[in-house]
Amino acid sequence: MAQLLEQFINGLVLGGIYALIAVGYTMVYGIIQLINFAHGEIFMFGAYLALMLVTVFNIPFWIAVPASMLLCAMLGMLIDLVAYRPLRDAPRLSALITAIGISLVLQNLARMIWSARPQLFPTETLPAFLISEVNMQTGEILNAIPLPGGGILPYRDVSILLLAVVLMIALNRLIYLTKIGKAMRACAQNRVASNLMGIKTNQVIAVTFAIGSALGAVAGIMVGLSENITPTMGYYKGVAAFAAAVLGGIGNITGAMLGGIIIGLAEVFGAGYISSGYRLAIAYIIMIAVIVIRPSGLFGKSTANRA
Amino acid sequence: MRNWLVGLLIVGFVSVFGCQPPDKNTSETQTKVQKELKVAVAAPYTGGSAAFGEMIRRGAELRENEINEAGGINGMKLTLLFEDDAGKPSEASLVAERIANNPQILAVVGHFNSDCSLAGQEIYDRAGIVELSPGSTAVEVCEGSSWTFRNLYHDGFQGKFIAQYLDNVLTGIESVAVFFDNDAYGRGLRNAFVAEAEKIGLTLVASEAYERDSTNFKAQLTSIKAKNPDAIFISGLYTEASLIVKQGREAGITAQFFGADGVDSPDFLTIAGSAAEGTYLTTPFTFGAGGAEAQQMAADFEALHGVAPDTWAALTYDAVGMIQDALTKTYNAEATIADNRQAIREHLASLDTPEESYKGVTGLTYFDINGDTVNKPAYVKIVKDGQFVAAEKQLRELK
Repeated sequence: MAQLLEQFINGLVLGGIYALIAVGYTMVYGIIQLINFAHGEIFMFGAYLALMLVTVFNIPFWIAVPASMLLCAMLGMLIDLVAYRPLRDAPRLSALITAIGISLVLQNLARMIWSARPQLFPTETLPAFLISEVNMQTGEILNAIPLPGGGILPYRDVSILLLAVVLMIALNRLIYLTKIGKAMRACAQNRVASNLMGIKTNQVIAVTFAIGSALGAVAGIMVGLSENITPTMGYYKGVAAFAAAVLGGIGNITGAMLGGIIIGLAEVFGAGYISSGYRLAIAYIIMIAVIVIRPSGLFGKSTANRA
Repeated sequence: MRNWLVGLLIVGFVSVFGCQPPDKNTSETQTKVQKELKVAVAAPYTGGSAAFGEMIRRGAELRENEINEAGGINGMKLTLLFEDDAGKPSEASLVAERIANNPQILAVVGHFNSDCSLAGQEIYDRAGIVELSPGSTAVEVCEGSSWTFRNLYHDGFQGKFIAQYLDNVLTGIESVAVFFDNDAYGRGLRNAFVAEAEKIGLTLVASEAYERDSTNFKAQLTSIKAKNPDAIFISGLYTEASLIVKQGREAGITAQFFGADGVDSPDFLTIAGSAAEGTYLTTPFTFGAGGAEAQQMAADFEALHGVAPDTWAALTYDAVGMIQDALTKTYNAEATIADNRQAIREHLASLDTPEESYKGVTGLTYFDINGDTVNKPAYVKIVKDGQFVAAEKQLRELK
């Protein structure tokens, strides 16, 4: 029972991170019908930039997080400006191939700048409450909430979950309550008509890239807190998050959030209870099963007007 | 007009300096420009096991420098070609094809990852070129081909050794869990460990797998924690092992962590940080146990590269030395490449007793019929104050 609860939390934390990345895929797809394969690399840059800020520039961690978000938002907009905007009216395949190209360029750029060796946030650069470690003599665990039945919930996981929820709610409010949000929804419905109504669609698209990239950067930092930061991290997590976006119905933001949680839980429960060697495979099988039954995903519209 | 003049000048220069009659100084070049002997060193210079590859390259370079400064091999220069397999079997096959088809390469030192050595095995076997691994320990690496050799123990021995060490040397270990990399190395080592553990009465409470390049192990660690083992044996490489140890301690696991030679890399310490403290691991060689030659090699290595060598640098240093030794004794400039490759194999195969062995910094190397090294011991190291040090108690003899 204690194990079940702890696995559930493991799944939620992983799912929250996937959800943050998946939102970036789905927002861009919703507006310009482009699967932005470079999104996983922005997630990776988010982690590396924050690492650079805390280690090379000695900036406190809690400033490095928003700074890295800002830098990645700019990077996302730059990629849109340089790579995707010139291809806005080209066949969709051209933009897709460009996205794959940008992804490769960024991945190799990261390899050149930071080398292929895995890195981590040095313990001394992180706020103390984010580091949980067991005391080998007493078995006591620092910076964690004990759960009934002997499990633990590290403060770090609580922080990741809270931040993910806050960001999701903020994004939801932004899209439904603000003028730019309204413009984004309008563009998602019909970009040409929105343009005719006087919405500056290129600006709206740039803002979409900025928001998605900033959320991706946060996810990258969250992963960097307990896992490796490597030039290929964007690929592995990106694929899982993309699966989450498809599962939720690509183009649908709520769907992406829930899809992320479902993939995260499926991965953890699959590894914990079915077979640990196939943790990702299990998540993908669930995704495929859902897609077979509902081709548009859990929350996708089953209309064909996007084609 | 000017272009025409420049053109004429170029033609003039080329004819004066470039087209000297060939017979004029052939005899001179033959003695002055030495013939090159090429040997490939195939290892993961990029990818997840790149830290191993870096040490392999450095160990090989040190030996190459020493050989060439001492006048080469019978007056011929040794040139090492570093081929990157990225630690992936698919890349290793490509690299192996390239090496096997290069009529200048005489032998291969490598690969490192067992999966890569196995991927290359068939190709080297067909081409008839020696594959001498300084790092692959999976049991099947040397079986089934007369062209594969290694200068360290294999996992049948290592897995047994670890189980006996946990049982006999460490106190209070009764139940164990295995967390293994789902590849040839991880699975083979787990099988050897589990077989011995069951034989000597350790209780195996969990056996969990992970895929290479995974970075999140919390789900499996939570399952293992629920079984409450006294020790957790990680059968895999440092890249994942460092995160397993780190995430395990974060999740509240107090069990003793034990790794094998795949964990033996300085990068294990940097990634795992304070969580690495107290982790035991086995290794085929440690400088603390080496003789004066090993200390000399360590000093030279540090002078050349600015860092201390590790186990893999030493084993590669010896492997290149073994090829050098074979070339010195057998290389015939008149013979075909196939004959020269064959002669190297025959020489290595003839090292089959302690008397007829290669004496290197890592000890005596001699082979059984498979090309497996016989009687090279395993050493146990422990992480203490952020450093690998030899464990207080070593296990000399297996039961």
